[in-house]
Amino acid sequence: MTGIADAVRTQGLFKRFGQQVAVGGVDLVVPRGSFAGLVGPNGAGKTTTLSMVTGLLRPDAGIIHIDGADVWRDPVAVKARIGVLPEGLRLFERLSGRELLSYNGQLRGIPMREVERRAEELLRVMDLADSADKLVVDYSTGMRKKIGLAAALLHNPKVLFLDEPFEGVDPVSANTLVEVLRRYTASGSTVVFSSHVMDLVERLCDWVSVMNRGQIVAQGPLEEVRGGRSLNEAFLGLVGAPANGNGEEGLSWLGATSA
Amino acid sequence: MSPDGSSPVSPAGPPPAAGGSVTGAPAPAAGGPVTGAPGTGAARVGPAIFVRLKLRLIAGNLRGDTTRLLGFIFTMLAAIVVASFGFLAMAALRLAPADVAADVAIVTFTAVLVGWAIVPLLAFGLDDTLDPSRLALLPLRTGQLAAGMFASSVTGVWPLATLIAVTGAIVGLADGVGGVLLGVVAVLLQFALCIVTSRLITTSLSGVLRTRRGRDVLAISAILVVVAAQLPNLLLNRGIGGDPLAVLHGLASALRWTPPGMAAHAITDGGVLALAELAALALLVVVLGRLWIAALSRALVTTDASTEGASVRNSRGLLARVLPDGQLAAVATKELKYARRDPRGRVGWFAAIAVTGIMAFSLNGQEGGTPGPALAIGPACIGALMISLQSCNSFGIDGRSLWMNSMAYGTARDWRTDLAGRHLAVATIAVPALTVLSVIAGLLAGNVGWAFPAMISSWGVLGVGLGVGAVTSVLLPYTVPERLNAFTGAAPGQGGIAFAASFGAMIGTALLTLPVVLPELLGFGWAGVLALPYGILISWGGRRLAGNLGFTRYPEILGAISRPA
Repeated sequence: MTGIADAVRTQGLFKRFGQQVAVGGVDLVVPRGSFAGLVGPNGAGKTTTLSMVTGLLRPDAGIIHIDGADVWRDPVAVKARIGVLPEGLRLFERLSGRELLSYNGQLRGIPMREVERRAEELLRVMDLADSADKLVVDYSTGMRKKIGLAAALLHNPKVLFLDEPFEGVDPVSANTLVEVLRRYTASGSTVVFSSHVMDLVERLCDWVSVMNRGQIVAQGPLEEVRGGRSLNEAFLGLVGAPANGNGEEGLSWLGATSA
Repeated sequence: MSPDGSSPVSPAGPPPAAGGSVTGAPAPAAGGPVTGAPGTGAARVGPAIFVRLKLRLIAGNLRGDTTRLLGFIFTMLAAIVVASFGFLAMAALRLAPADVAADVAIVTFTAVLVGWAIVPLLAFGLDDTLDPSRLALLPLRTGQLAAGMFASSVTGVWPLATLIAVTGAIVGLADGVGGVLLGVVAVLLQFALCIVTSRLITTSLSGVLRTRRGRDVLAISAILVVVAAQLPNLLLNRGIGGDPLAVLHGLASALRWTPPGMAAHAITDGGVLALAELAALALLVVVLGRLWIAALSRALVTTDASTEGASVRNSRGLLARVLPDGQLAAVATKELKYARRDPRGRVGWFAAIAVTGIMAFSLNGQEGGTPGPALAIGPACIGALMISLQSCNSFGIDGRSLWMNSMAYGTARDWRTDLAGRHLAVATIAVPALTVLSVIAGLLAGNVGWAFPAMISSWGVLGVGLGVGAVTSVLLPYTVPERLNAFTGAAPGQGGIAFAASFGAMIGTALLTLPVVLPELLGFGWAGVLALPYGILISWGGRRLAGNLGFTRYPEILGAISRPA
């Protein structure tokens, strides 16, 4: 595959915070139209990588191309093409869900009438119609992820970046999120999401990138990366976790009869 | 096989700050006996463990953070100054006439109690041991919890400083051995009263304080307290009180029979009446303590009262209907909503207008000033400066949510439009407010005609201030904490930047307005005509500069305004 066929391609992406190297030379590749999972243990550099790829954090070194356009040289082209659901999900808390969507749409120069039409549909699909006029500050975690995803989809981006979209989300909301994302990729768009829920990644993704300690340790089609094992086993092997726990000799008091 | 010590799969959080060393056997931690008592289900934990918990929290909070350490050292120094100055001042009362000394002591004791009642409330959340819900899962009886929390409340810099300062009253007021003995009891009771009262108030409100609405209300009341604290000052300045000694005496006789008043009086009296007063005081402390324990046990089983979110009206404001559809309208209407809905927005506006009002009032109160248009122009321009200072960190209140804007903006022009939207929102509120202020200032100065130059110049100053503020917003951005309290305006470690931004904006605005405002104040009224176009020009230039700077350094801005607070 050539670079132009990739939705995301980075070369030598590097970021250091003080003494700590958070991302040390990452070459992330995501082919167009794939449902890609970026997995790794806590502190592996997933969030830092996604922040740099989406132009929210300036890399110390490296090149990032999205759909062939350089993120830091050609921001207009890139920003029109991507949608983002960032980590921690800080939204404009004192706007209602509906106001948040129209705000986002107007910022992107979509005509008001069109924004309202899309917002209405997104709110209905996300099952947020009843809470559309409540302030986002009073939303639950699942509702926040859904309104965040709705805001990221509003301008119909080509590539969607989601940082931990399913963390802290109840099964019903998670199902809604999955349904929407499946429809979205079916139309040929690309989703990149980070997670450490292996089952979910295994169920949804056709492309996986595994990160550990600021590096990509494996990358490719799901079948290739897991190589016949479950993704969880493959992952634990890749990040070098002890296979069978290491607490056998300690914790002997745990579950014993007296305190 | 096994990787080095910091395996990424094992939870590599900071080591828990547990009291004893964790060895194989459940050894009792040094100091407090924590042996499990399976029969009773409650651990036998003495207050000492809470004291150590508090000390550990203080120490842990400082570890590895130079700015916090400096802040703590500063607090220590301030407390030492307060303690020694308070002690000496109270002790020096011995030199004053006896009745004056007694009056001062009564008023001071009451002020100390009021301080203890209010300040911890405004700073709620600064101290982990204060929130009983964090201890709810420990197997402790309410009585143990109360004793422990009392002990941990007493542990700290400010309680100690209070105790030392109040002790000065014994030196200053007591007579003879009996007086000193009663004095010691009175001081201890006054101290206990302060602590128990402040505990009772924070505990009974802790449920409310954990809700969003409760904190919103508190944020507003914080600023009211700050403004209210200016009132006596103002009244004294205006000479309403007359003879300060008479004021003091009036105040003291009003407070004489309040609990702190009785404590202070007991020290001076030193007789049978003092004994009775102290007995009453002790009874009160016990009653408040009981109430506190009751509040504590209720707080432990009450859930976080989650606010059932009310809907907001889904209407487009007047501004949105007038403005063409797009970024400018989006940002301006969003800013107006925030000014109304975010407590930080409301506090900002309220503070700016209240401070201006107080200034206008006191400027006119001064004797000997030459009456002239300056008396109207001055307050109006100061008002404009105060309002525009709110914009010296335009992106601060957006905080991390600004990612949404930066994801949409691909050019410097977009950032300029964003700033223009913010300025438009400020002007929508500020222009009418300044107009009203100018008319009031004109009336107070004795000539309504002066309102017109005042109004025009204040609009000009507003424009200059917004232009300067746009530049400081992109050059010196800082995080505005979501939980406002009356003592900090920036995230930990960013106090210096916040100070530089607001001070820089103030100086910059003042210098840039001099060319038009100075001639006016000197009597060349025609210069006022230039103020408005000049202000518009500067605000345009500021936005242009800030837009270009903002576009090149928005990841850094984003980082600076999303620091954990």
